[in-house]
Amino acid sequence: MENLLKPDYGVLLLTVCNFLLLVYLLKKFAWGPIIGALEKRENQIESDKQNAAAARKSAEELKKELDERLAQISSEAAKQMAAAVKTGEAQKEQLLAQAKEQSDRLLEQAKMQIEAEKNKALADVRKEISTLSVLAASRVVEQEIKPSSADKIIEQVLQEVKGK
Amino acid sequence: MDVAESISHHILDHDWGVVLGGIRIPITTHSVTIFAVSVLLVLGLAWAARKHQSRAGKLVSVLMEEYVSFIRSGIVLPNMGQEGRGMLPYFCTLFLFILTVNLAGMIPEMKTATSNISVTAALALCSGALIVGSGLKFHGFWGFLKGFVPSGTPGWLVPLIFPLEVISLVIKVCVLAIRLFANMLSGHMVLICLLLIIFIIGEMSKFFGVVSMFPAMLLEIFMTCLELLVAFLQAYVFTLLTAIFAGSVIHTH
Repeated sequence: MENLLKPDYGVLLLTVCNFLLLVYLLKKFAWGPIIGALEKRENQIESDKQNAAAARKSAEELKKELDERLAQISSEAAKQMAAAVKTGEAQKEQLLAQAKEQSDRLLEQAKMQIEAEKNKALADVRKEISTLSVLAASRVVEQEIKPSSADKIIEQVLQEVKGK
Repeated sequence: MDVAESISHHILDHDWGVVLGGIRIPITTHSVTIFAVSVLLVLGLAWAARKHQSRAGKLVSVLMEEYVSFIRSGIVLPNMGQEGRGMLPYFCTLFLFILTVNLAGMIPEMKTATSNISVTAALALCSGALIVGSGLKFHGFWGFLKGFVPSGTPGWLVPLIFPLEVISLVIKVCVLAIRLFANMLSGHMVLICLLLIIFIIGEMSKFFGVVSMFPAMLLEIFMTCLELLVAFLQAYVFTLLTAIFAGSVIHTH
């Protein structure tokens, strides 16, 4: 059992040589290619990450620009809308005024026309009445009276009636 | 039954007695195991490092990359910084070599070479050389020596601190060897002792010998699982401590 702690220098030396040779061979044939591939992939990933970050930054800038343009367009549209509403209101007011004026004019014309028609009707009535009156009077007096004289008489009678 | 002899027989290294021109060639069970493990590692890892088309080959390549990544990001870079990148192949080899030698002992008819103080001392010597080499590489000879004395130490304390720090480094390296040796040896000793319990009790009474077989085998299975854990743990501890010691020499206080 005491041999357990007794070093065998031959084995020690052989193990050192064996291990160092193993480190060299593995470095050359295994770890070198593996570490190389790993670092290459990591560099690729890092490069991809940087590209992605740049693309993201570019996309964000584009989005910001588009947002600004959108805001500008919205503001312009709002302005144009307000101007259109204002113009519409003015046109509405104008049209209403024109319509009112036209309606007033038509009303006035209608009134005048009615008045004229009324006067004409009254004149006709008056004439008819005078004719009838003359006829009636001629019948009453049984004498022929000239229409002009009759008109005069009738006018005098009417003035007398109005005066009363 | 001579228990001590049985244990020694199963644990101790056996010299094959090869003598060449009057000089003893150290062909022993442990050195053959180490050689076999080394050949296996070189062939296996060289195959794994090649570009593969098959799914199994790709899986092995991915596993190897994960392993290298683990050693680099988990052991080397946190303890040694970017200066340790160049020593990554050493640490990758160290961990895998210790682990494979530890596990080789679990295979019937093979021996755990790391339960031999000469083997662990050889590995510790290599790690010690790496630690000293790192100090010399990054600080030069005088810078490396200065690193043994913490900054701000009064001048009169330097003659005391300097040898203490040098001895501390030597002890650290020695402890690397003893820790691995003791852990692997003790595990195998316990396994053999558990098996011997059956035979010792069996010599006294065959009936009790048979009865004792069941608890002994259960304990044996438990200890084997524990040995598997210890195999990984000790490989990790040895590699990690080497990186820490090398890091402490590179990044001096």
